[in-house]
Amino acid sequence: MNKPIPKYPRILAIALSTRGFGFAVLEGNQILADWGVKSIEGDKNKGSLSKLKEMIVHYEPDVLVLENTSIKPMRRSARIQTLTKQVSSVAEKSNIPVRLFSREHTRRFFFGDGKETKHDIAKIIAERFSDELGFRLPPKRRP
Amino acid sequence: MSLKNKSMSSPRLPNYLKANRKRLALSQDEVAFLLGTQSGAKISRYERFARVPSLETALALEAIFKRSVSELFDGMYQRLERDVIKRAKILSHRKDSEKPNQQQSRRRQALDDLAAS
Repeated sequence: MNKPIPKYPRILAIALSTRGFGFAVLEGNQILADWGVKSIEGDKNKGSLSKLKEMIVHYEPDVLVLENTSIKPMRRSARIQTLTKQVSSVAEKSNIPVRLFSREHTRRFFFGDGKETKHDIAKIIAERFSDELGFRLPPKRRP
Repeated sequence: MSLKNKSMSSPRLPNYLKANRKRLALSQDEVAFLLGTQSGAKISRYERFARVPSLETALALEAIFKRSVSELFDGMYQRLERDVIKRAKILSHRKDSEKPNQQQSRRRQALDDLAAS
């Protein structure tokens, strides 16, 4: 059985990608404890799972957040969809609850029904954690 | 860096060196250089909670990151603070054998304040 999630949980958020994964460790909604990207060489799923297991041991998160890749139509590759299931399974074996959010859900959270871009979301996050991420916000890409 | 209500949050990490290093966009080797050590391997061990720095190093880290040692080592500080409070409660419950004087009243007040924190 999963342990209950405290009011200000330590969150390990993972964004699986073609190169490996991006991650953020948050404590409640105020503290960004770690962030970055992990590039994996060779077997990407095996390497990603191994790195994630290390991070789970290191950060002891209360909850793991992933993209919901089971929503149709899904543009993520079969490899990413499989990896999402594998990561969820690793977390559940460690009694860590998993919360899945679709891209649409994330976009709605920030902008309602607006047509804002990924860059607009990045801007909001960079402003929210300006000390840590403000200087890392890349320039807006040309359309 | 403190959370609103510590009892509703999970225990803090032993230290926040990695977040602070990344905040300043410094590499482990650069922090090692600022500390006057040879390589970033030691910094990596601190960040992985595999090793605790000396007081001298901890103070140098405070100088680098402009954050207090207790903030940088929040989890460790909170654990030690809890232990001190526990001991203060024990000590404040011990009866004074001597007649209370000004010094003993001051001591009692200090222990009561600690125990109540």
